[in-house]
Amino acid sequence: MEALKYFTMAWFDPNLLFLTAIGTFAGIYIGAIPGLSVTMAVSILIGFTFSWEVNSALALIAGIFTGGVYGGSRTAILLNIPGAPAAIATGFDGYPLAKKGEAGNAIGISTVMSVIGGFFGILVLAVGAPIISEFAVRVQPRDYLLLALMGVLLVGALSGESLAKGIWAAAFGMVLGSVGLDPLTVEERFTFGLPQLTNGISAIAVMIGMFGLSEALILLHDLDKKAIKQRVDNIVPKWSDIKKYFGLSMQSSAIGVTVGALPGTGGDIAALLAYDHAKRVTKNPEVPFGQGAKEGIVAPEAANNAAVGGSYIPMLTLGIPGDAVTAVIIGALFIKGLNPGPLMLIEKPHMFWFTVGNLTLANCFLLIFGLTGIKIFAKIVEIPKGVLLPLIVLLSVVGAYSINNSADDVLWMIAFGVFGYFLKLYGYQTGPLILGIILARLIDDNWRRAIISERGDMTAFFLNLVSSPLSAILLGIIVAVLLSKTPLWPKRAQTKARAEGST
Amino acid sequence: MDPQPTRRPGETVFTVMMLLLSIFLLWNAYKISGFSSKSSPGAFPLAATLVMVVAGLVAVFNTLRLPEGPKGFSAFRSQVAPNLVLAFAGLILFYGLALESVGFILTSLAFLFAGMLLLHRQGIGRSLMYSVLSLALVYVTFRLVFKVVLPEGIIPERRILAEIGAVLGPYLGVR
Repeated sequence: MEALKYFTMAWFDPNLLFLTAIGTFAGIYIGAIPGLSVTMAVSILIGFTFSWEVNSALALIAGIFTGGVYGGSRTAILLNIPGAPAAIATGFDGYPLAKKGEAGNAIGISTVMSVIGGFFGILVLAVGAPIISEFAVRVQPRDYLLLALMGVLLVGALSGESLAKGIWAAAFGMVLGSVGLDPLTVEERFTFGLPQLTNGISAIAVMIGMFGLSEALILLHDLDKKAIKQRVDNIVPKWSDIKKYFGLSMQSSAIGVTVGALPGTGGDIAALLAYDHAKRVTKNPEVPFGQGAKEGIVAPEAANNAAVGGSYIPMLTLGIPGDAVTAVIIGALFIKGLNPGPLMLIEKPHMFWFTVGNLTLANCFLLIFGLTGIKIFAKIVEIPKGVLLPLIVLLSVVGAYSINNSADDVLWMIAFGVFGYFLKLYGYQTGPLILGIILARLIDDNWRRAIISERGDMTAFFLNLVSSPLSAILLGIIVAVLLSKTPLWPKRAQTKARAEGST
Repeated sequence: MDPQPTRRPGETVFTVMMLLLSIFLLWNAYKISGFSSKSSPGAFPLAATLVMVVAGLVAVFNTLRLPEGPKGFSAFRSQVAPNLVLAFAGLILFYGLALESVGFILTSLAFLFAGMLLLHRQGIGRSLMYSVLSLALVYVTFRLVFKVVLPEGIIPERRILAEIGAVLGPYLGVR
C-alpha cells in the first residue's frame, strides 16, 4: 500500500506531473538534435536544479531521460543523423523507410515500440531488481571485456561494405579513446608531447564531427538533387503492425533491459545487439534489412527504451551507474545526501517506488507527445538543404563548444568532420569508430583487471573464459559473429548472409 | 550502402595512407611500455593498433582486387573533392578559427550568411533573413534556455543580458 502511494505520487501532484511532462517533451527535442545529448542536458540540469527538492529534480530528469533516448530516433529516421548514440541502429532501416515516403509510419512504430520497451524495462526494474542485481554482482571483469568486444565487433560487422574496414575503424576508435594519460599509471599515451592531448580527445567532439559535420559535407554531393519529400502522415501505426511485431519487441526489450542493467553499457549497445538479433531471427523480412525493414526499427527502439529501466537497476540497488546518464543522476543524489546502494531499497523504499512511478508516467507522456507533435517536427526536413546544412554546422559547433567551453574542441570536431568525410566516401564506417572510442576505457580497464586478478597467468585467464558459464556464452557469441563473416562459415549460410548483409 | 563495383578515385592512396597511419600508431603504442607486461599501460594500445595494421592490410588487399574505376586527379576533384565541398569546408574552418576571438554572434552570422549564399543561392536578402532568423532561434534556445556558454568575443553580450535582466527582472519574477 505504502509502495502504491509513492508509485502514484507524481501522478497526482500537479507540479511533479508538469515537470515530468515538460521533461519528456524537452527530452524528445534534446535527443533529436545532433550534438545535444541527454547526458549533457542532465548535467546542465543538475546545475540549475541544485536548489530544488529532490523529487522535482528526479521527475524532470526521468522525463528527459525517457524522451531523450526516444528522440534520437527521429533525426535518425528523417535525416539519417542519429541524434544520440542509442539511435545509430534505428537509422539503418529508418532512413531508407523515410526515403520511400514512409517516415510517418517509421516514427509511429518507433514511438509505440519505445513505449512498449519502456514499460517492459520499468516492469523488470520493479519486479526483478533484486534478481538482476544479483546477476550483475557476478559479472567479472573478463565478462565486461567480452561484452564490450562483442559490441564493437557487432557494429563493425553489421555496418558498411567491408568487415576489414569496419574492424579498422573500431580499432582506430579504441586508439583515439586511449589518447591522453593512462588512468591507472598516469603514463602518457599517444600524446606526441602535445599538452592539448594529455586530457584525451573528447569523444563527443569526435562524434559530432563524424555524425554532424561530415554528414553535412557528404550531403553537399547531392545538393541539387530534389529532396524526396518525407511524408509524415499516418503517424498512428496500424494495429496489425503492432500485433505482428509484438513478439520481436518483447525479445528486444529483454535484450535491452539486460544490457541496460549491466554497468557501463546502455541503450546504444542494447539497440545494436537487438538490431543484430532481429536480423538473425527474422527469416523472411518483407523488405531486406538496411532497405527499410520495419523489424530494423522495432528491435533497437524497444531495446533502447527498455535499457532506461534497466540502467536504473544497478544504480538503485548497487550504487553503480548503468550508463552515463545514471552516472550523472548518482552524482545528483549524492549532492542531496542520498546514497544509492544496497541499503537504499531497505531504508528508503519510497525513493525506489517514486522513481518507478515517475518513469511510468514519463512513458505515458512519451506516447502522447510521440504521436502528436510530429508534423511540426518533420518541418525540419522540408527546410531546403542550402539553409539546413549551414544550420547543422552551426549546431555542431555549439554542441562541440559547450562540452568544455573550449574552442579547441570545436577545431577537433572540424578536423574529425573532414576526416570522417573521407572515411565515409571510401567505405570506412564511422559507427564502429565511435563505439570504439566510447568503449576503449571499459575494455582497457577490464582487460587489466582481469589479468591482474589472474596474477598475469594467461592459462588461468583462458581456462576461466571457458569454464565460467557467462564468459563461455559471451565468448561463443563473439566467435560465432566472427566466423559468420569469414570464409570458414559454411557456404550456404554465407550466401544468405551476403544477400542480407550487403547493406 | 550498395556493393561497390569499382575502385573510387583516390581509394588506393587513401587505404594505403590509413595503413601507414596504423603502422605509425603501432610504433607509438610499442614505445609506451614495449612488451613489458600483459597489464601495462601499453598493452591495450598495442593490441588495438595491431588489429588496425592487420585490418588495414586486408583493406588494401581488398581494394587492389576491385576492378579499376575512374582515376586521375580530375576524377578525384569531381567525385571526392568538388569545388563546393572545398569552399564549404574552408568556410567551416574559418568559422572555427575565428569563433573564440571574434565571438559567437558575429562569426555565426557571417558563417550562416556566407554558407546560405553559397548553398541556397537565393540572393542576398533571403540569405540574410534566414541567417538572422536561425541565429536568433539557436541563440534563444541554447544561450538563454539551456544556458550554454558561448564565446563572447567583441560584443559585450553578458553585460547587455544583465542590463536587460535588471530592467525586465522584476516583471518576470526573476531574482
